[in-house]
Amino acid sequence: MILGLTFPETALIGLLFAAIQFGAMIYLASLGEVVAERAGVLNLGVEGMMSMGAIGGFVFAIETGSPWLGLIAAAVIGGLVALVHGLFAVVLGANQVVSGLALTIFGVGLSNFWGTDYEGVRPEVQFVDVDWGPLSDVAWIGRIFFQQSPLAYLAVVLGLVTWFVLNRTRGGLALRAAGESAATADAAGHSVVGLRLFAVVVGGAFAGIGGAYLSLSISPGWTVGVVAGRGWIAVALVIFGAWKVRRVAVGAFLFGLAMALPNRTESFDLPWDPILWSMLPYVLTIAVMIAGALVLRNRPPAAPAALGLPFRREER
Amino acid sequence: MRPVLVRREAPVRGGQPLAFAVGLLVALLFGSVLLLVAGDSPMEVYRRMLSASFGDMEAFSVTLNRAIPLALAGLAVAIAATMGLWNIGAEGQILFGATTAAGIAQIGEGWSGPVLIIAMIVGASIGGAVWALGPAAAKAYVGVNEIITTLMLNEIAIRLVRYLINGPWKDPEGFGFVQAPALPGQSLLPDLFQRTHIGLLIAIGVLAVVGLMVSRSSWGYELRVAGSSGATATYAGISLKRKILTVLVLAGAVAGLAGGIELTGNATRLTETISNYYGYSGIIVAALALMRPSGVAAVAVLFGAVQVGGQSIKAIGVSDAVSTVLQALILFGVIAAGVLIVYRVELAEAAARGARSERRVRSR
Repeated sequence: MILGLTFPETALIGLLFAAIQFGAMIYLASLGEVVAERAGVLNLGVEGMMSMGAIGGFVFAIETGSPWLGLIAAAVIGGLVALVHGLFAVVLGANQVVSGLALTIFGVGLSNFWGTDYEGVRPEVQFVDVDWGPLSDVAWIGRIFFQQSPLAYLAVVLGLVTWFVLNRTRGGLALRAAGESAATADAAGHSVVGLRLFAVVVGGAFAGIGGAYLSLSISPGWTVGVVAGRGWIAVALVIFGAWKVRRVAVGAFLFGLAMALPNRTESFDLPWDPILWSMLPYVLTIAVMIAGALVLRNRPPAAPAALGLPFRREER
Repeated sequence: MRPVLVRREAPVRGGQPLAFAVGLLVALLFGSVLLLVAGDSPMEVYRRMLSASFGDMEAFSVTLNRAIPLALAGLAVAIAATMGLWNIGAEGQILFGATTAAGIAQIGEGWSGPVLIIAMIVGASIGGAVWALGPAAAKAYVGVNEIITTLMLNEIAIRLVRYLINGPWKDPEGFGFVQAPALPGQSLLPDLFQRTHIGLLIAIGVLAVVGLMVSRSSWGYELRVAGSSGATATYAGISLKRKILTVLVLAGAVAGLAGGIELTGNATRLTETISNYYGYSGIIVAALALMRPSGVAAVAVLFGAVQVGGQSIKAIGVSDAVSTVLQALILFGVIAAGVLIVYRVELAEAAARGARSERRVRSR
């Protein structure tokens, strides 16, 4: 009891813990999409890349006995799957929406195919939550922030590194130039195709890690449809976060909260069926997109100027 | 030496059918590799798929049944694409259409067959249209990206059906099974021949009417103008807002119709899986048909065959996810072949790179 209010303290701590957990998972995928889109490549294949990361990470973790090797495999697989999109959208200059959608269907299908023999397999290998010693024992804060999966901290580190590289290095500048004005980047002597391919592959690797977060930490194991549309939320989150690494992080926590709540409706004594609450992240996405569009109506668009446009230097 | 794409003086003749054939072949090739890796015999798998989908008249009638929702879902994507819009929400529109039809079936349990079927199918279209109305209005009036909103509504629709089946619509005679009540017997769509039901005629009719509307009517012309240049359309006095609204709502109605036909034609009760990813397959169907309603039908039959074939290989212990992968591979194959019909690959001398680095030096 605090200030005369009774509220389910442990439930609230659990909710905030899960919000950070889900938020970090979705942040990894969104961060990857930010990198790709800042370079000018819209990749709607996040759902597929996450699915492949989830099954790939799980399989390699089980076969090698190490969750870390599983994680590396998930990143590599995510990057390879993304390379397919890179090949079509960047090298061949195919329509990015079509190629990305095909990648999602391909990735989800292939992961289901791969996962047939792994459905229901006991997840004997998974990430163990980090123990920060005395920090982890602090009331509230310890449980919420310092008993997370190593992947949550990895998400923070990758966020910082990505922010630094994008905004403070020459390479990051070149990458953003490829997304704002490909011809200018090309004239400055950069390989637009190379930069974009790199960005897409990095984006895929991040999405793959996000998928492995699901299969090796949040709900260890493999079931068909484990990603459950979260890849699409990651894409929406990039728009919500105005293509900015930091703003996307704030959004990720918000969406993490929305993803964590439906499983906890009973502890909070919330009305309605939990199934109705499970719509929350998706309803929130729509609400946020509409609100964002209303607010930004008369401002210049935040999206990279060359987003979605193929570049062929012979056809400038 | 590095490969570069150079535009051909003229695209290869007979390009699109050629691209299609090459793409299909490449997809089957990649699929074989996948099957070999998984330890299955590609020849055996493909032979089974072919005989299950085109083997005899009965197999073909099953394939046609499957092609109906695929064609309508493909059309729902293609109509929107005529105007440069992406309707990724056919899946949810199918689901909500089927849900509306199932609701009508509960009310009209005592109605005669034809009345009930017509009410269900019309209701399904209205349901689909309603499900598309939100994203349509958000796009038309506020400029919200329709890809994300239509997609999110898919996830919401599936949860809505789950909620209804678990709660308000739970079958009281289900002996503890969580399922919707069985549809009344007279709501079953009559057969046309073999296993194909008369939904085929409805689908052909809708494809023809919408196809003509897009290609021949002034409405369709304005649509295509608006799709190629919004500024031109506005200058010509075409209301973009109203166009976006009508096009997406029409697309939703077509997808909803698919849901109604699936429910009355193939299902015994409303389920979460009634839409069976037709909405997503429809995107590939539409893309392969180059967003033309006329091409949608042909591609839908092919994909119906791939899906029916995919079901059949479960009997020899191969995952039916193979058919999903094949569908995506076909699209990738056709995209690649399509690019190579307009471009050719040439090996450029390192000179190009040299020139660039020279320029880089100069620009510093």
